[in-house]
Amino acid sequence: MLDLAAAILSAAAPATTAILLAAMGCLVNRQGGIVNIGLEGLMLGGAFAAVAASAAAASWQAGVAAAGAVGALLGLGFSWTITRLGANQIIAGLGLNLVVLGFLGYLLPVRFGVQGTYLPEGVVGLPRIALPLLGNMPLLGPILSPQTPLTYFSWLTIPIIAFILYRTAWGIALRAAGEDEEAARAAGVSALRWRDASTVVAGLLSGLAGAHLALGVVTLFNKNMTAGRGFIALAAVYFGAARPWPTAAAAFLFGVFEAASFRYGSAGLAPQLVQMLPYLVVLISLTLVALRRRWDVRRRAARAADLASIGGAR
Amino acid sequence: MSATTSVSAARLVLPARLAAGAALLAPFALALAVGGVVLAATGRDALGTYRLLLVQSFGGQIAVANTLVATTPILLAGLATAIAFRAGVFTIGVEGSLYLGAFAAAWVGFTFTDLPGMMLAPLAALMAAVTGALWSAPPAALRAWLGVDEVVSTLMLNYVAILLTSYLVNEHFLAPGVANSMSPLVADQARLQPLLPRTQLTVAFFVALAATALVALVFRATPAGYDLRIAGLSPSFAAATGIGLATVVVGAMLASGLLGGLAGGLQVLGVNYRFIDRFSPGYGFTGIAVALLGRNTPLGVLLAALFFGALANGGAMIQLFSDIPIDLINLLQGTVMILAVVQFGRLRRAAEGVRA
Repeated sequence: MLDLAAAILSAAAPATTAILLAAMGCLVNRQGGIVNIGLEGLMLGGAFAAVAASAAAASWQAGVAAAGAVGALLGLGFSWTITRLGANQIIAGLGLNLVVLGFLGYLLPVRFGVQGTYLPEGVVGLPRIALPLLGNMPLLGPILSPQTPLTYFSWLTIPIIAFILYRTAWGIALRAAGEDEEAARAAGVSALRWRDASTVVAGLLSGLAGAHLALGVVTLFNKNMTAGRGFIALAAVYFGAARPWPTAAAAFLFGVFEAASFRYGSAGLAPQLVQMLPYLVVLISLTLVALRRRWDVRRRAARAADLASIGGAR
Repeated sequence: MSATTSVSAARLVLPARLAAGAALLAPFALALAVGGVVLAATGRDALGTYRLLLVQSFGGQIAVANTLVATTPILLAGLATAIAFRAGVFTIGVEGSLYLGAFAAAWVGFTFTDLPGMMLAPLAALMAAVTGALWSAPPAALRAWLGVDEVVSTLMLNYVAILLTSYLVNEHFLAPGVANSMSPLVADQARLQPLLPRTQLTVAFFVALAATALVALVFRATPAGYDLRIAGLSPSFAAATGIGLATVVVGAMLASGLLGGLAGGLQVLGVNYRFIDRFSPGYGFTGIAVALLGRNTPLGVLLAALFFGALANGGAMIQLFSDIPIDLINLLQGTVMILAVVQFGRLRRAAEGVRA
């Protein structure tokens, strides 16, 4: 049992990386006022760029850089349709997913003569780097190390984004842009520009998430390789109410689910039921939050009524 | 309401009406242009491909019949979405209802095999619609009474639906002797009979047409249609005039789920004859594009659904006859979706603002 738990946990770290990166990007985007449904497309674009560039330059660094750049560019274009052309963000996001999927699905057979899976010669995958001290720790060691550079980077994004959002002027400007366009403008902040910037961050991080899928987990591109992780990342953001640490915790939980669905698949429990958990967890948590909000409102109203009656007696 | 609309439309000067028509067609034209650029850039004959697409979707009786078959689930999914959108409910959960409806129809069809066809097929379709409606009930209730954002809840429930039906078919209802992921076939008498030999054009398309007419009637001529529209246009005005918003939201989402479930059920009874794991290429999402392009009007939805039906059918055929993969259709559809929600007027105003 402990062995199984350890096996799942050590598989959970790489499984979490893509979800965590996309979720952190989505969170920044959400704080900037945009619900990003296009994470799947951004990840997929990044995954393809990673494989193509890694093969072309025979270097994983080039793959990662290309993935980030393609994700950021796609994010900018996506953001532009929303902030400058007034497109509905949900529809534009669904459209982006289809455009990227359709474009790459078209390109693979037409340009590279392959169906669905693209494996050019000389793709260099991400290395697994052992951490000198952490790796030797008794229980956590095998979970923490060795991991890919992007996995370590994904962990770093949590405190970095938390710091920027809540401790810097940038973070205040971004959140102002996200909360109230008018107020932001009054305070001299260009809301649309901050919104665009937040989508570029979402694109960049989602692109890196794609790079991790294509160069870290396996070393190939498949047009179905994101497999709903963009929506799981979105679920993590909703579960964490767009706050960095809770969102990261949800991403890790969902990573554990993903790892478990592979492990349990052979142990007799249907993988589909495990894969359902992130979506159900979010639905339940949204319901509980709404119930609590409603209860709070009622309690406040009751208290106000109490105070009013006291005032009347006096 | 519609009388005033048509009067004001008649008063529009001709150039303005042309401009309005052009604005409606612009997303289609621009998306085809984008696809053409992609085709040309990859060394394919864009015009030739589009000509082939046109011939394969409308050239001859069989081609037209196949296009109508491909249109059927898209039309129903588009209507389902339009009803909700009209009420101001932003559901994207039609795909989930479609999966549950398809499974319900298949289950009825392969379980009650002793029933005569006259009963079995309608019963299966009815179960599909009811199951689809039931699937949309939780997000409807959550939105109406607790204010939970329906975009997120329906998006999440789509994946739950896909995984749940996948679980059911793989773990409990796998067809004996079939490799994977398919339920047993529905009984022969439950299958809808082709109206034209060598096609799968069945009564399903005409059911979808009847649903379109019915929705048009409800929209135009019933108090429910009026409530739906007012609730969508201005929730506060609707509430002030005594329209029960919760009732409208729940009603619209249930009707949406009902049509989504029916779309899935008819796909099983008329085309696949069984439930297949992950069978939908995203009919529910195409339905969103169709509702947007059709401006949530039944006639608009019908025309847009025909466009996407023709694309889907023609795309599948050109994949057979040339080396153009059907993924091109996804590219076109995604582009149309984005362009359909881009406000061209805003762009023009922005340009004028710069000049001024």
